[in-house]
Amino acid sequence: MFLTRSEYDRGVNTFSPEGRLFQVEYAMEAIKLGSTTVGIRTPHGVVLAVEKRVHSPLLESASIEKIMEIDTHLGCAMSGLTADARTIIDHARVTAQNHSFTYDEKIKVESVAQAVCDLALRFGESVHDEEAMMSRPFGVALLIAGNDELGPQLYHTDPSGTSMRYDAKAIGSGSEAAQSELQDKWHKQMTLQEAQILTLRVLKQVMEEKLDQHNVQVAQVHSVYSHPFVHCLTASQVTAEKGFEILDETSLKGVIELM
Amino acid sequence: MDHFPTNWGRPRNDTIDPYGTYPIHQRPKDAFSTGIQRTQHPIVTGTSVLAIKFKDGVMMAADNLASYGSLARFRDIQRLHPVGDNTVIGAGGDMSDFQYLQSILDELMVDEFCASDGHTLGPAEVHNYLSELMYARRSKMDPLWNSLLVGGFKDGKRFLAYVDLLGTTYASSTLATGYGAYIAQPLLRRAVEGNEDTLTKEEARKILEQSMQVLFYRDARSIDQFQIATVTAAGVHISEARKLETSWSFAEGIRGYGAQTQ
Amino acid sequence: MEHSFASPSGHPQPHQRHFNPYSENGGTILAIAGANFSVIAGDTRQSEGYSIQTRYAPKVFRLTDKAVLATNGFAADGNMFVKKVRQRLEWYRHAHSKDMPIRAIARLIQTMLYARRFFPYYVYNILGGIEEDGSGAVYSFDPVGSYEREACRAAGAAQSLVQPFLDNQIYFKNQTPAHGTSHPAHLPLDHVLELVIDSFTSATERHIEVGDGLEIYVVLAKGSTPQVLDRWQGVTEMTTTQDGERMFVIRRNLKRD
Repeated sequence: MFLTRSEYDRGVNTFSPEGRLFQVEYAMEAIKLGSTTVGIRTPHGVVLAVEKRVHSPLLESASIEKIMEIDTHLGCAMSGLTADARTIIDHARVTAQNHSFTYDEKIKVESVAQAVCDLALRFGESVHDEEAMMSRPFGVALLIAGNDELGPQLYHTDPSGTSMRYDAKAIGSGSEAAQSELQDKWHKQMTLQEAQILTLRVLKQVMEEKLDQHNVQVAQVHSVYSHPFVHCLTASQVTAEKGFEILDETSLKGVIELM
Repeated sequence: MDHFPTNWGRPRNDTIDPYGTYPIHQRPKDAFSTGIQRTQHPIVTGTSVLAIKFKDGVMMAADNLASYGSLARFRDIQRLHPVGDNTVIGAGGDMSDFQYLQSILDELMVDEFCASDGHTLGPAEVHNYLSELMYARRSKMDPLWNSLLVGGFKDGKRFLAYVDLLGTTYASSTLATGYGAYIAQPLLRRAVEGNEDTLTKEEARKILEQSMQVLFYRDARSIDQFQIATVTAAGVHISEARKLETSWSFAEGIRGYGAQTQ
Repeated sequence: MEHSFASPSGHPQPHQRHFNPYSENGGTILAIAGANFSVIAGDTRQSEGYSIQTRYAPKVFRLTDKAVLATNGFAADGNMFVKKVRQRLEWYRHAHSKDMPIRAIARLIQTMLYARRFFPYYVYNILGGIEEDGSGAVYSFDPVGSYEREACRAAGAAQSLVQPFLDNQIYFKNQTPAHGTSHPAHLPLDHVLELVIDSFTSATERHIEVGDGLEIYVVLAKGSTPQVLDRWQGVTEMTTTQDGERMFVIRRNLKRD
């Protein structure tokens, strides 16, 4: 007996006759409602920037956290149901720690992206005789930025458990306009400073409020081999290992003034 | 949350896809969870097994005795067992454990036959299977109390190797278990090492027969009736039980052990 | 056999004879790191007590293009351990699409050994090969996973014979350099090979568990020339890749008595 079309979106593990998993597709829709998030890879490092929607003047904007560190050499920015990202990032962090514990080396960015995707597909019904781990797909997409032996890399992961590497990527509500802007403006030999400015310009175009250091968050990860003069930041803001760092408001202000 | 993906289990469609081919790392289970298991010790035992390589294959010998302590309890037990068309195993140690191994191997060969995929297990595969099994059981502190020789001939290659209750393995052109390792192995090495490719079947049989005779003279847990297994390109052949020719007349002349008066 | 013993309470209690899951199979292994090479060697005799089980049972195993593991102690544990390490190396290759660096293999071996802290692999491991920076490396382990990177290490039955010799010849212990000179930090390959062979022929003379055959693995860093090896007999190249590290085995007979 055939189910009616609309009934194929009930079970999270039921394909429709056209070969679609509606719940996964709906999860992707949740990301399109999320705030815009942009990532740019350059030979000198990767920049992540995300819009923080401050819906109330009473909201402490510093408490909105949309970029998180995973390990010293990589981190991620999120868009969609940001609460879901906590589970994912928790898993990514443990995977990264476990890797360095077992192998005495930093985990590759690709491997973290893969670990995140392994988890993303663990929704659905029970596994053997065990309880189901999750009832629904994650409603969040990540931009994972990191630097490893293969240099600076940017990965995008989504609720379907797909991960892909990008030179520049935008996700969230303003992603269509942002992505085409990135396509126009991105070039191979960008400096990290140019990348920072570009991410903010792209965000500025799609944001309703006026962009300032309170309603955006920016992070970057340096390539170890990048030339010193490409850093626009003061020495105190660059960690000794040049790992993943989330910019504080003062240095963010500095970048915004350069726009 | 458990962050080890390999402990997450498999999706439930695994029940209709039983091939566990993807290698999943299992973290060791708590060693103390199953409580105390008793160690065992051999009850009814077989003594030495001897085996050598020769020009056309491998030859193995074992007597027909299964002892109960010092009692010669069963005097027509077969300790050589064919596994498929290319392999023979010989066992010393606990005979009930050996019979259990026989039933496992027989079942394995039936499964392999039923697959009818044109693939058969040769001596190397049987030996590897046994070594995994023996090592797994010793690691559970519940060993199968045997010393086994695995001999065979497949795809133009001779194979001869050992595995025991600890999972220890080794290969050589002459092998002997039990007392044979002390008494027969030196004789076998002198006769065989360097001559593996020239020894005829007849010569090989003679070497084993002489070694079995020496063992019968010296090993109090042996008997003068034995069998010889031969594995060549023609397949496995296990002889009928045969008697050893022995002579005890020299005993008359021995002085110094007992109650002789002169 | 079961025996009865009187317990302190006076009641006889059954005494179960204990199954010993371990054995000791003799032999010796040895590894020396050079500036841009590593040499890992072991004899091939396997024994138990006074019996030689076989004259050829390898104790040195190639793991990757640039890593070699030598293992000594209880042979069944050793073989199983090598099997498990190889399995983990393959899974790593699938998960991270690269060969595991030797430093990572060393840490992996520690975690694998320590995971069995309460039922240890009764095995002394020595890992040799080429580090990511192209330097020769030797890592040595105890059975429960303590490990250290060193310039040289001997282990096994004849450790107490060979290690002092190495301390003297590699680390120049108890040697004073001639006035105005200093000891070299690293020795050249042919000198190291001479030391390895002398170590094993001497150990064979003085230790009953050492002998029969010798297998010496040589790993050369990328770009280094193997010309030195032309002067050596019985060399087999095992390199599988081009423009990478190169690996060789040198096989020698040792006395069989």
